[in-house]
Amino acid sequence: MMNSGSAKHLIKPLAIRLSEQTTLAESLVVAGHPFDRRDFLKVLGWGGAAVALSGCGNGSVEDGKETVVSYVETNDYMIPSISVYFNSTCAQCDAGCSITGRVREGRVLKLEGNPDSTINRGKTCGLGQAGVQHHYNPDRVRAPLLRTGDSGEAITWEKAYALIAEKMNGVSGEEIAFLSGGVSGHLKALLGNYLDSFGCKNHFVYEAIAPAVLRAANKKSYGVEMPRFSINKAKVVLSFGADFLGSWISPVHFSQQYAQFRKGVDGQRGVLVQVESKMTLTGANADRWLVVRPGTEGILALGIINALGTATGDIAAAVKGYDKARVSKDTGVSAEQIDKIAALLKARTPSLVLAGSAAEGYAHGSQNAAAINLLNQVLGNVGKTVEAAEVVPFPQMAPATGNTAALKSLNDGLAAGRFKILFSYAANPVFTAPGAMKFTDNMAKAGFKVAFAHYLDETALQADLVLPLDSALEDWGTQVPEYMATCAQINIQQPLMEKLHAGTDGKGTRGMGDILLALIKQRRGEDYKKFDDYYSYLRAAMLQNKGALGGGKVDDDTFWDETLSKGIIKLEGPVTALSGKAGAAGLSLPAPAAIDAQYPLQLIPGVNASLRDGRHTNQPWLQESPDPLTTIVWDSWVEIHPKKAAELGIEEGDIVEVTGKNGSIKAQAYLFPGIHPDAISIPLGRGHEALGRYAKGYGVNPFQILDAVFDKETGELALHETRVKVSKTGSRVIVIKDEGPAGGKQMGKKIAARLPSDKVKLSEEV
Amino acid sequence: MHRILRLSVLLLGLCAAVSSYAADAPPPALTTEDDLGPAIEQPIDFPHFRHAGDADKGGMEINCMYCHTYARRSMVSGIPPIQKCIGCHQSIESVRDKPRIKQLFEAWDAKKAIPWKKVHDLPDFVRFSHERHIQRFIFQLNRPVQEVCGYCHGNVKEMTVARRSKQLSMGWCVSCHEKDHPVTAEGGTPVGEQAYWYSMRKPLIDASGIVKAKGPNDCSVCHK
Repeated sequence: MMNSGSAKHLIKPLAIRLSEQTTLAESLVVAGHPFDRRDFLKVLGWGGAAVALSGCGNGSVEDGKETVVSYVETNDYMIPSISVYFNSTCAQCDAGCSITGRVREGRVLKLEGNPDSTINRGKTCGLGQAGVQHHYNPDRVRAPLLRTGDSGEAITWEKAYALIAEKMNGVSGEEIAFLSGGVSGHLKALLGNYLDSFGCKNHFVYEAIAPAVLRAANKKSYGVEMPRFSINKAKVVLSFGADFLGSWISPVHFSQQYAQFRKGVDGQRGVLVQVESKMTLTGANADRWLVVRPGTEGILALGIINALGTATGDIAAAVKGYDKARVSKDTGVSAEQIDKIAALLKARTPSLVLAGSAAEGYAHGSQNAAAINLLNQVLGNVGKTVEAAEVVPFPQMAPATGNTAALKSLNDGLAAGRFKILFSYAANPVFTAPGAMKFTDNMAKAGFKVAFAHYLDETALQADLVLPLDSALEDWGTQVPEYMATCAQINIQQPLMEKLHAGTDGKGTRGMGDILLALIKQRRGEDYKKFDDYYSYLRAAMLQNKGALGGGKVDDDTFWDETLSKGIIKLEGPVTALSGKAGAAGLSLPAPAAIDAQYPLQLIPGVNASLRDGRHTNQPWLQESPDPLTTIVWDSWVEIHPKKAAELGIEEGDIVEVTGKNGSIKAQAYLFPGIHPDAISIPLGRGHEALGRYAKGYGVNPFQILDAVFDKETGELALHETRVKVSKTGSRVIVIKDEGPAGGKQMGKKIAARLPSDKVKLSEEV
Repeated sequence: MHRILRLSVLLLGLCAAVSSYAADAPPPALTTEDDLGPAIEQPIDFPHFRHAGDADKGGMEINCMYCHTYARRSMVSGIPPIQKCIGCHQSIESVRDKPRIKQLFEAWDAKKAIPWKKVHDLPDFVRFSHERHIQRFIFQLNRPVQEVCGYCHGNVKEMTVARRSKQLSMGWCVSCHEKDHPVTAEGGTPVGEQAYWYSMRKPLIDASGIVKAKGPNDCSVCHK
């Protein structure tokens, strides 16, 4: 009875949750009486106990029930129950971490980092670990699907290829658009050759979350798009919203550098100062976390240059107006803090200043990034902690990096009806394009749409032909990472096991390389007929450059076997010295925008280390791993500052409606002190309407309500420029999260003590 | 009202479960009794007696580990790949037309694996290592192979397809682990303090001066 009594008051909010959102099944109704989830679980529990108890005893040895299938033929190293390990490359993001897959009885069971890689040095992140769930995912597409009305009919590959050839007949290269995510290595070269074969120059490389503004700013400031950031050599890191421990550029690499930085250079422990409007995982680890008014990062950078007082010439002239009083007023960072940062940067050199996605995401994002890079210049960090990176000496394999400007030009082209055929690979623009761009409607204007897909995601659902891809653990390939660590490297991707869905009757999944090879044979059959498959193409291409790849002294087979065994080719690449003298010329930062009375809050789309842009949301490990800051699982939330929440009468768990100029979404409120009071944040990646059973219907998609505002210089989408208002809907849920009550249950032991901010002695703090 | 009704049904279910447990499952007892399992139909009636049986009874006296080659290296003994069967049988013309051998070659030609049925299948919560037992008894104590395999698998050399003849229950396993088995230090069996590392119990010297040790009895050795 006690159980039922204590359950009673908990049942109500749960029931509301069930009716409020369709994320879980409707309330169960048994024999006309509501039978809620809690009761259902109780029955399940007791029932399980009953089964377990009666199952005990001596009779549990099963004779002749299970099948044991032996090999027909086997290699000597294949011993049942003994694992073998193969090296490959993680494909969960573009950082290019090398992985080692544990394979037992022909099945890949676990992925770990490959210690030989200079990028990840034997480590992986949570996203990488979930790679096996991408491979074994039950929602993978298993046969080519041709649209007939609203459904897809499974067809053979032969038919699919013939259909593409037929549709491309008489269509000029200019009328064909190829949309892809970031590509590199031999796949990029092959794709380039394919597009050239029909004179198509419309390759749109699109990544929804990419440091594209930073690349452009770096190119200007340092002469290269992606220099090497040596966090481990710095004594102070001042990061403007760069979440380098979570999701920024190459997080596993930076995490290890960060560990060295924390141990200290010359015995001096590194100090991390993070300046941002919404706390990231990196911000949570910082020695000092400063909240800044959204969009004023550049002003603060110039204010710090001013406070340093070491700049000369035009830089000094440019920052003259940025005195502490003004900067403090604009950014909300106190004059005392600006002085402290300046003093810290002066006392400890070299330092490193990073411009993260939070600073980039505005209409003046380029200016913000330029101002932050200028600070690096003034501090003399260029050449010390911002260094030239080695590049792979094969420019045709260098990564084609994605950005959002590509999406805009594709969208404009589609809207104008310029493209008759659209190919889409490794991108899901229907999900990630801001609703204001009306991408779905524009996409419909293309007559024939082909999606290369692992899952039936939102974009694949709009396509006329869906071609199923092998998982990253079944496919061949090479990958060249954009961010190089200590040396240039080419990563090898090789199958860790047989295809799960090889298919019969000419259906089943195929590798992207194999598909491109089959397609290019339609155009240039003579040139490519000697390659049976992508594997033979890859092998031939690598052996052709054996000398340059460091295999000059060994025979072909030895070189190839060693390359596959190592999974990495390390190269002494050429180094482009950093050039570019970023002056203050052209630097103009707008004053912070006045608060819009109708839409008073800035919407910051949160980038979660696991979910990123939402392409992997159908991997349940990622859904169930708690967000590092809020510990919320399986759902979206609206981060709102407690003060602002009190003003609006919002409490944790209130379902709030977030309304912008381009629509509204509803999600649970989460009171979060690590956010600017004039901003709210909703994490990206959830809110899928397709993709699979673990993604569809969980949470909301903030991409939908983003305004289509673009960075003035680069044309990149300004992700942080959306203004919204928040209103209560009246319903309420219990927020499903790992953390306990505020401060945690510490059993009176003061494990993590709390101190009011006015009691902190800033002078004793680093 | 309904809540009380439901709860009482649940409690009734629990009582039933407990009583069913009490009725049909006596607590595991130490036993060495044999317990013949059911006859199991296999895709091919593999004649163990012909391959492993004594020569005077028409057997070939092939070492168990020739075919079950994984047993000494791995958790499982494994079923040999068809490749191994063919290795010998391709040069044994005399039995080539026998129905079972025809079946074998059909599978080989089609490169199709044979779906054997597991005869000795422990529950998934039991971790049994063939390698440990084979290394200990065959390679360290120099006991005959068929005797050692027979501890658990019975007299397979007289069977056609194997049939379980031991209980393989926990009490049965423990009955053997409680015995004092000789320890030979030169064989590499951990002795002294090191024994604890392997969850072995400390060896003792009996009246005749032979060092003996019991098998491990730590829960976690088998129930990981």
